[in-house]
Amino acid sequence: MAALGYYLLLAAFVVCAYAAAISVAGARRRSRPLLESGVGAFYLVAAIMTTASSLIIHAFVTGDYSVRYVQQTSDSTLPLFYKITSYWGGLDGSIMFWVFLLSLFGGAAVYFNRERHRELVPYIVAVISVIQMFFLYLMIVHNNPFQTFLTENPTEGTGLSPLLQNFYMVIHPPTMYLGFVGLTIPYAFGMAALITGHLDDSWLRAVRRWTMIAWLFLSVGLGLGMIWAYEELGWGGYWMWDPVENAGLLPWFTATAFLHSVMVQERRGMLKVWNIVLVITTFFLTIFQTFMTRSGIVQSVHAFGQDPELARMFIMFMVTLVVVSFGFLIYRLPLLRSRNEFDSWLSREAAFLFNNWILVFSAFFVLFATMFPTLSHAVTGERITVGPPFFNQWMIPIGLTMLVLTGIGPLLAWRKSTVLNLRDQFLFPTLAGLAVGGTVVALGVRVWSSGICFGFSGLVMGTIAQEFWRGARVRQQTTGTDLFTALVGLVGRNKRRYGGYLIHVAIVLMFLGFAGAGFKQKQIVEATPGQEIEIGDFIVRFDGLKVTDDARKQMVTGEMTIFRNGAELTRMYPARWYFHRRESEPTTEVAIRRSFAEDLYLVMSDFDLSRQQASIEVHLNPLVNWLWFGFGMLAFGTFVALLPDRAFAFADAKVPAHAATASMLLLAVVLWPAAVLAQDAAPRVRFTALEEQVRGEVMCTCGCRRSLTFCGMANCHGEAEQMARLREYISQGKSHNQVIAAFVNDMGAEILMSPPDSGFNRLAWLLPYVLGAAGLVTIVMTARRWSRPAIAGAGGADATLDPALDARLDDELRDLD
Amino acid sequence: MSYKAAKIGVTGLVLATVFGILLYTTLGESMQYYKYVDEVADSPEAWTGKKLQVHGYVVPGSIGRKRDRQEYRFDIQRNGKTVRAYFTGAPPDNFKDEAEVVLTGQFTSEGFVATDMTAKCPSKYDEAKVPVTR
Repeated sequence: MAALGYYLLLAAFVVCAYAAAISVAGARRRSRPLLESGVGAFYLVAAIMTTASSLIIHAFVTGDYSVRYVQQTSDSTLPLFYKITSYWGGLDGSIMFWVFLLSLFGGAAVYFNRERHRELVPYIVAVISVIQMFFLYLMIVHNNPFQTFLTENPTEGTGLSPLLQNFYMVIHPPTMYLGFVGLTIPYAFGMAALITGHLDDSWLRAVRRWTMIAWLFLSVGLGLGMIWAYEELGWGGYWMWDPVENAGLLPWFTATAFLHSVMVQERRGMLKVWNIVLVITTFFLTIFQTFMTRSGIVQSVHAFGQDPELARMFIMFMVTLVVVSFGFLIYRLPLLRSRNEFDSWLSREAAFLFNNWILVFSAFFVLFATMFPTLSHAVTGERITVGPPFFNQWMIPIGLTMLVLTGIGPLLAWRKSTVLNLRDQFLFPTLAGLAVGGTVVALGVRVWSSGICFGFSGLVMGTIAQEFWRGARVRQQTTGTDLFTALVGLVGRNKRRYGGYLIHVAIVLMFLGFAGAGFKQKQIVEATPGQEIEIGDFIVRFDGLKVTDDARKQMVTGEMTIFRNGAELTRMYPARWYFHRRESEPTTEVAIRRSFAEDLYLVMSDFDLSRQQASIEVHLNPLVNWLWFGFGMLAFGTFVALLPDRAFAFADAKVPAHAATASMLLLAVVLWPAAVLAQDAAPRVRFTALEEQVRGEVMCTCGCRRSLTFCGMANCHGEAEQMARLREYISQGKSHNQVIAAFVNDMGAEILMSPPDSGFNRLAWLLPYVLGAAGLVTIVMTARRWSRPAIAGAGGADATLDPALDARLDDELRDLD
Repeated sequence: MSYKAAKIGVTGLVLATVFGILLYTTLGESMQYYKYVDEVADSPEAWTGKKLQVHGYVVPGSIGRKRDRQEYRFDIQRNGKTVRAYFTGAPPDNFKDEAEVVLTGQFTSEGFVATDMTAKCPSKYDEAKVPVTR
C-alpha cells in the first residue's frame, strides 16, 4: 500500500508537469484540444491526490505502523477521530494535505471560470500545477509520507502528544491550510492576467470571492488557534506573539489589505499595480510562513524543528517566485496605468489608502520583529530577541488607528468630501464615540488604551448604525415598503458592502475583547483545603483533591467552590491529567466559568496529594468572550457578503405588494430551520424527555468532560455506564430532581455539568424566549406597516431627509456591486 | 510624472525615517540577548545585570523544589556546559528532565534567576529528521 501511495505521488508530479506544459502550448497555439487536455490533466491531479489521501487515512485507521509517518503520529489506542486527523499531524502529511487541498481548490476555480475567463484558464492551470510540483517534489525527495521502515516494522505507534488531542487543535491546522491554499487561487489568476496581458478588472472580479473565502478560513483558523491556546495551554491568555502565531497573521494582514484596495480599483480604476503587489505578497507570505516555522530559521521553542535541506528548497522556491512574479509585473507595467488621479485626502480612496498602509505596515512590523533574532544574528553576530511587550507597544497604537479608520472610512465620500457632508456624516458617530468614551471615563477607567478603544468602538458602531439606518430609509422611500423589508433589500442589493459592515461590527467585538485584557487580574496561591482566594467579586475556595482514573489516563482534580457576594455560585474543577504511557507529559485542564462580563479561569499548576495541597492560579479575564463572539460575527458577515446574487432576489421587489411577500418569505426562511428540525426530531427520538434532560446535565465519565448528550468519544464506555444508571433511577420512579440527587449521591457532585441555576445558564435559558418575543414584535410591527396606506409612509416623516444625501446614497447603491 | 514621483519619494522617505527612528528607540528597551547555555556558561559575570534569554536542556535529576513553594532550582546544559537556574512560579506542563527550555531572566551570583520559562512545544511535528531509508 505504501508503495502504491508513493507511486501516486510520482504520477501526480508527472501529470502536473504535463498539465502545465500542455496548457501553455495550447494557449500559444490556440489549440482547443491541447487546452482541454491540460484542464483534464489538472482535474486528474485532484483525483490522484484524493486516492493518495484515502491511502494514508487507510494506513492510519488500520494501524499500518510499517509506514514511518503513521508510526510517528498515531498509536492503536487513539480514538478513531484522532487517527483520521493525524493525516495532517506532521510535516510530511501536512504537505500532502496541502497539495490535496490545492488540487481541489484549483480544480473548482478552473471549473467555475472555464467559460467566463477562457483566456486566463490555461495559465491558471500552469501556475497552480507548478506550485503543486514544488510541493510534490518536496515530498518525493525529502518528506515522503509513505516512507516505510527498511528494517523490522514496529507493531505500535509512538502516539500523539496529549496536548494535541483536543478538538480545536484538530480543526485549527486544516482551517489555516484552507486559508493559505485558498490564497493561491488569487495569485494564480493574477499571474495569468499578467502573463496574458488581460489586465482589465475582470480577473479581480473573479478572485474577489476566492479571496473572501480564503480570508474567512484564515480568520477562523486564527480564532481557533487562539481558543486552543486559551483553553488548553493554561496560561490565561490567547496570544503571545510567538513566531508560529505571527506566521499565520502575516498573510492575513496583506489579504485584508487586498480585500479593501480591490474596491478602489473597481470603483475608480486606481491602485492596479498595488493590488497585484498585494496578491503576490500575500501568496509569498503563505509560503514564507511555512518556511519560517518549519526550517528552523527562527529560534523559538515553538518552531517545529530545524531542517537545513528543507530550508534550501524553500529558499530556492521563494526566490524563483519573487523574481518571476515581479519580473512579469515590471514587464506589464505599461498596461497597468491608473484610470484616475487621486483627488483629495478627504476621500474614500484616501481612507482605503491609509487602511492599506496600516495593514501592510502591521505585516512588515510583525515580520521584522519576528525575524529580529535572525536579522541581528546575521548583522551583529549576536542573537537578540524582542518580547511580547515590544509587540504590544507597537501593535496597540496600530490597532487603535485601524479601529478609528474603520469608523471614519465609510463616512467619507468617493473622490472628495465637502465640509457640508463631513458635518452631516460625522455628527452622529462622533457623538456616539464621545458618549461611550465619556461614560467609560466617568466610570473611572485606569487603562488609557482600553478607554480609547471603547470610545473608538462607539464611533465605529455609530458609523455602521448610521449607514444601515440611512440606507434603509432611502430604500424605504424609493420602494415604498416597510423599514424591515427595506433593510433586507438594502443588504441584498449590496451584499458585499453591508456584509463588510457586519465584519466591521465583528472587529469592534474583538477589540472589546482586546480592551478587556487591560483589566485582567491574576493570583497564584499555594492552597490548603478550606483556603479562600479573593479575586474581583469572586471568592474561590479550595476544597481538596480527588484522584480518578479511566482507561486512558489518571486524573487529579482540584475541587473548588466559587462564591459571589457571599452566596455560593458554582463549583469548578481544574485538573491535571496523566495519559497512560505518557505520564511524564501531564496536561493541565483548565476550568473556566464564562460570562459576558468576564471569565473566571482556574488552573491547578501543581499539587501534593499526601498533604492535599495545590498550587492554584486564578485569572479573571474581563470581556474575553466578546473576542469569540467577534469571530462568529466575522464568519456571519463574510457569509452575507458571499451569498449568491439570487439569494435576496425576492426582497428586491419595488412594489409594496411584493415586498410584503418578501418579508413573509424572509420570515419563513428564518423559521424554516426550526420547522425542519421539528420534523427531523420526531423519528430520531431515542430517549424519553426526562432521559434527554438528565443526559444534558450529567457529565460523561469517559473523561471527555462533556455531557452525555455531547460526548463525542468513539467507543465511549462512560456514556453506556451512566445511561444504565439513569434508566435504573427512572425505573425506580424517581423525578428529575431525585434522579439528579441520586447521581450526586452515587458519583459525587462533579458528575453534574454545572449547577443547574448559575447566572450564565439562566441567561442561556432566557435567550430563546427573548428571541421568540422579538420575532413576535417584529411580526406585529410588520403587519401594522403593511396594513397602513402606502402613500402615508412615502410623504410624511421622510421629507426631512436631505435630498442631496438621498441622491448620493442612491448613486452609490447603484454603482457598487 | 517626475513631480509626482518626487512627492511620493519624499513622503515615503520621511515616513520610513520616522518609523525607523521610532523602531530603533523602542527596540532599546525591549531587546534581550538570546544565548545558548554553552555560550554563557563560562563567563556569567559578563552578563550580570543584562536581561537575557538562555536556551538549554534540563539536566536529568537536577530539578529541586522548595516545600510549599513554587520555587524551583535546576541545572540546564548544552554541549557539556551547565548553568544553575532558579525559577519561581508555575512551570509549563512539559518542564521535566531533559526538557528543552528557554529561560528569561538575569544572572546573579547564585546562578541564572528566571522570571519566565517556556518549554519546547511537545509537537507532533517532526523534531529531528531521520535518515532517509527509502
